Amino acid sequence: MTFLGALQKSGRVIFELLRRFLDRGFGSDLNPLNHLGALTIYFFWIVTISGIWLFLFFKTSVSGAYESVEYLTHEQWYLGGVMRSLHRYASDAAVITLALHMIREFVYDRYRGNRWFSWVTGIPLLWMVIPLGITGYWLVWDQLAWYVALTSAELLDWLPIFSDSMARNFLSADVLSDRFFTLMAFVHLIGLPLFLVFGIWLHVLRINGPRINPPRTLMAGSLAAMIVLSFSLPALSQGEVDMTQVPQSLGLDWYYLLVYPLMKTWSPAWVWGLLSGISLLLFVAPWLPPQRTKSVAAVDLDNCNGCARCADDCPFGAITMMERSDGKAYEKEAVVDPSLCMSCAMCVGSCPTATPFRRHSALSPGIDMPDLSAATLREKILEVSKGLAGNRRILVFGCEGHNKAAKLKSRLNGRETATVDIVCMAQLPPSFIDFVLSRDLADGVVLTGCPGGECLYRFGEQWTGLRIERQRDPRLRKRVDADRIALAWQEPWSGLSDIAAVVAALRNSQAVDHIAGQEVDEKISLPSGRGNSWKLPLTVTAYALFMVFVGWLSIWPRYQLIEQNQAMVSLSFSHAGHRIRACLKLTQEELNKLPPNMRKADDCPRERLPVRIAFSSDGTTLYEASRPPTGLWSDGESNVYHRMVIPAGPQKLFIGMVDSDREAGFDYSLEQELDFLPGQHVVVEFDGIAQSFIFKEK
Amino acid sequence: MTLIKWKPSFSLGIPSVDHEHRELIGAINTVYDSMVDNADPEIIESCLEDIYADVSSHFALEERHMRDAGYGEYEAHKEQHEDLLDQIRSMMDLFEEDPESGRVILQQELSDWFSIHFATFDARLHHKLGDHH
Repeated sequence: MTFLGALQKSGRVIFELLRRFLDRGFGSDLNPLNHLGALTIYFFWIVTISGIWLFLFFKTSVSGAYESVEYLTHEQWYLGGVMRSLHRYASDAAVITLALHMIREFVYDRYRGNRWFSWVTGIPLLWMVIPLGITGYWLVWDQLAWYVALTSAELLDWLPIFSDSMARNFLSADVLSDRFFTLMAFVHLIGLPLFLVFGIWLHVLRINGPRINPPRTLMAGSLAAMIVLSFSLPALSQGEVDMTQVPQSLGLDWYYLLVYPLMKTWSPAWVWGLLSGISLLLFVAPWLPPQRTKSVAAVDLDNCNGCARCADDCPFGAITMMERSDGKAYEKEAVVDPSLCMSCAMCVGSCPTATPFRRHSALSPGIDMPDLSAATLREKILEVSKGLAGNRRILVFGCEGHNKAAKLKSRLNGRETATVDIVCMAQLPPSFIDFVLSRDLADGVVLTGCPGGECLYRFGEQWTGLRIERQRDPRLRKRVDADRIALAWQEPWSGLSDIAAVVAALRNSQAVDHIAGQEVDEKISLPSGRGNSWKLPLTVTAYALFMVFVGWLSIWPRYQLIEQNQAMVSLSFSHAGHRIRACLKLTQEELNKLPPNMRKADDCPRERLPVRIAFSSDGTTLYEASRPPTGLWSDGESNVYHRMVIPAGPQKLFIGMVDSDREAGFDYSLEQELDFLPGQHVVVEFDGIAQSFIFKEK
Repeated sequence: MTLIKWKPSFSLGIPSVDHEHRELIGAINTVYDSMVDNADPEIIESCLEDIYADVSSHFALEERHMRDAGYGEYEAHKEQHEDLLDQIRSMMDLFEEDPESGRVILQQELSDWFSIHFATFDARLHHKLGDHH
């Protein structure tokens, strides 16, 4: 098994254990693991609605932001406070469901080949959701917001977008303007959500019948759980911003700010490298080996009358009904888009012409799979059933999901049991089951699908079940004894014993005993573990665990910004270096040589020298750099921005700067004794008018 | 000799459905003729099998048009279709087990299946769909 295969396999085992636990409480229809994408969208709606309420009271200004959020949280705790908490916890829950959604598609191998579109369009959604959360924490303008703003700005400053340093806006209160909050509010309230809605639309565009809304019970349950969490652990601000004082530790929302602590030790380049590396890997994942390319469904117009059943059943919207092209007296014909077809063969199972009862005419349905045609399938069934003996013969159909067929064969095949492997259960037209039983090829039929109904091709379990129950076309004929058919959805940890149990149960049921031949009302069912009395407590436990998880990582574990006996110094200023050489006075003679419109007395180079800085404490150099001039022509000021943690206590600070081409000494410098209190933040600035340094303590 | 003749009243005004009705009548007449001519049971069986496939897809198409037109009695009509398909399948099995009695029963039932289908349900469908054309 490849590394990828092993990774997916172990992921599936974890998922199935989780599913088994949740199934007990919710039942498989309401199992949240089957609605992860829809739940994410639902949480997004909760975030939107609670966000609108918050916006009504929010003031987009430096002084107003914190104050208005405090008002909402404490004065209006019964509504505004709850809305704030819901806003936070729903967005945290969305990250969990989103991550699980992505991991699930990965471990069940549902992202490759033609399925690349939904996978790839999901990645930009990540890049919208995370900044959405980050800008949200920013807007509150508490101490966490300050940390978020500063760190985000330091990250963004590394990108060659802004020539000035953005982080400098967040070092002292007198530089930060209200305008910045308007910008943030725009990004958080309009910009990102707009792209997100568009992105979600694109994400589900190629899917047939996407589930946008989770079942109502789940909606109500998760909302109730979040309201309970909101009252028991209300979302709170973490103290007003005081830029002269660094908080020792902060409660980080790890769902959104996971990479931020990396900035303490990593350079922004590494953080960006990590983020873009992960994104790139996700982007190319659908095309990484091992590649599996299969031939796509093919329409045979001679046998297609345009009934559109295949288009209804295709889980990927790969079949469209188009105007008839062959001049026959039909209105429509089925057309397969090869770039959308996942070769699941469900269309063959839905085609009314795919009946195996044909003695002379060829078994060629209106739509068929070249790799495993309906005719080949019939041959396989006839071949395999020949080897069966006894009067309780069972024919097991195994789907290709996760290479199960081979294992089924070695486990089950014997004198009375034989296995036929097909692509997906829904590939099997119900008339084939009629064929097997009425032609006495076997006494019972077992259909086995992917784990827990988590069909590799989305609807295999659903369509098969409905067809057997005669609720979806093509229906199983009423004359076929449904007691001789059993469905078994394998669970991976059980090592196929659950399927073996179903086969054994079917074999022992009187319905398949064709010698006894009596009509018996005996339903085949998997032995279920626990009674219904467990349902409610398990559901409540599941919600509670989810909420504990949501609430816990939204502030714990606390992130230690600085140690107890540490303080912080930031260097933050801009200064232009000298020109690379002095200006020259042109002589009259030289001027005459120039065209009249270009004559000027001084010949000055645009380019400037870099600015060199050295910063030390008690003689130990803490920062030394040569900062290049900004601007396309290297004619702008050099930016100096550096933040560092130093021990608290009295120390002699020294800053020196060279803006000329001198080799030794400094053009400007300042030495000063400072007594740092724990957590104190001092900003080193350069006053451009006085041409001197300042150690700004307040 | 023909068992069923196409009548203008059979027409639903949907070219594809009418076309298949005509083809089905042709197929039924063929089975009937081969039965009258005392043809080999295997030939009749294979004719029945083809009819089963053709009728299956024909019903699928007809049901599609009914649903598209919002036909009110869809469920009842659909049940009729399912019953008819069950009858054809039973006839196929019967013919395989006992061709002689199969021949007798088939002869009785063959014209009923389709004339009843046309006379009752499809006629009503005709009126309903007629409004749309």
